[in-house]
Amino acid sequence: MGGVDVGGGGKGGRKQLDSEINMIPMIDLLMVTISFLLITAVWTHMSRINADAQVPGPPRPDTEQDKVEPEKQLHVEMRSPDKFVLIWKQGGTVVSTVDVPRKDNLTVTNGFKDIRYPELAAKIESEWKTTGTHRDGSDKKFDQAILHTDNETPYVYVVGVIDAIYHAKRPYTVGGKSNTLVPAFNVTFAVN
Amino acid sequence: MTIQEPGRRLMHHIPLNFVQKKVAGGGGRSTNASLSLTSMIDFLVVTVVFLLMTFSASGETPTQKGVHLPKAENTLDMIDAPIVAITGSLIMVDGNPAGNTRAIEDSKRLQRIDELFNNLKGKRELWKQTHPGKDFPGVVVLQIDQDVQAIVVKSVFQTAAFAGYPNVSFMVNSIPKSGGGGEKH
Repeated sequence: MGGVDVGGGGKGGRKQLDSEINMIPMIDLLMVTISFLLITAVWTHMSRINADAQVPGPPRPDTEQDKVEPEKQLHVEMRSPDKFVLIWKQGGTVVSTVDVPRKDNLTVTNGFKDIRYPELAAKIESEWKTTGTHRDGSDKKFDQAILHTDNETPYVYVVGVIDAIYHAKRPYTVGGKSNTLVPAFNVTFAVN
Repeated sequence: MTIQEPGRRLMHHIPLNFVQKKVAGGGGRSTNASLSLTSMIDFLVVTVVFLLMTFSASGETPTQKGVHLPKAENTLDMIDAPIVAITGSLIMVDGNPAGNTRAIEDSKRLQRIDELFNNLKGKRELWKQTHPGKDFPGVVVLQIDQDVQAIVVKSVFQTAAFAGYPNVSFMVNSIPKSGGGGEKH
């Protein structure tokens, strides 16, 4: 039997402070706990990547809509098979354009396709650091990325590019603490 | 019946030599093995701690049969929201059929999917009735097969937005961050 010393010397006449744990129920409990956890275990973890449909809300009566300056937006073009085009636009004005060579490193494992664009991710991050508007942790708004893709592109490539856009992270202040890193961009799709 | 003192009961006048050898310890190696209780309990406790740390109370998110989800690194945790699954040309909302994508694939044009729109709108109305006074979160999770065309994805995305779900999430298989591509934080 296992014993647990809970202190005290155990002088004559005083209550015994040593107590024993019965090993058989303890091992039974551990076994049952392990069985329960193994049966209920989830080994494949699903996650999500977010996108914003940019549905405009009603105009605020206290702000003059005409004086609102349009923000810079990053347009990510993935129509070309050999390059991505990153275009910063402010309203209808093109601020800057950068080409990123496209390498589709598609891997297939058990029928599941996986594609990564590390060069695109690195370039988007550096672009955001130089041109992004909402970089401060206390800023509640996020920079907007708009994805342009042609109609036949398989979904796995679209997710690869969205994942690369979300590689750029910024601090976000929650309850006075700015230790949370969140994606720097909100992603939406271009209609055309 | 008299109570007898416990002890060996082998009768020496019966020639069971192999039993005699076993009892005397002169036989082969014993088949009983001792187990160290301390090591065993250590192992069990470590296993319990590991399983508790990996335990997910939310359970497994149901994935539609035949849907191969893409993988992504920069992901968020799953949330409780209506799930729109697209496999082949069939659209399902929380496991119930809600239209198909054939018309979009044929026309190659962005268009609203009426059946999906009505289904999502009905769910939104139901949520508002069951949660009076609360803001509708407007979140929907798209569970789309990896080979579905972008025009279908965009059409479903727009349909969900029109039905009052502007926050659209794409369900993916989470993979650990590779660390490559860009600066580390």
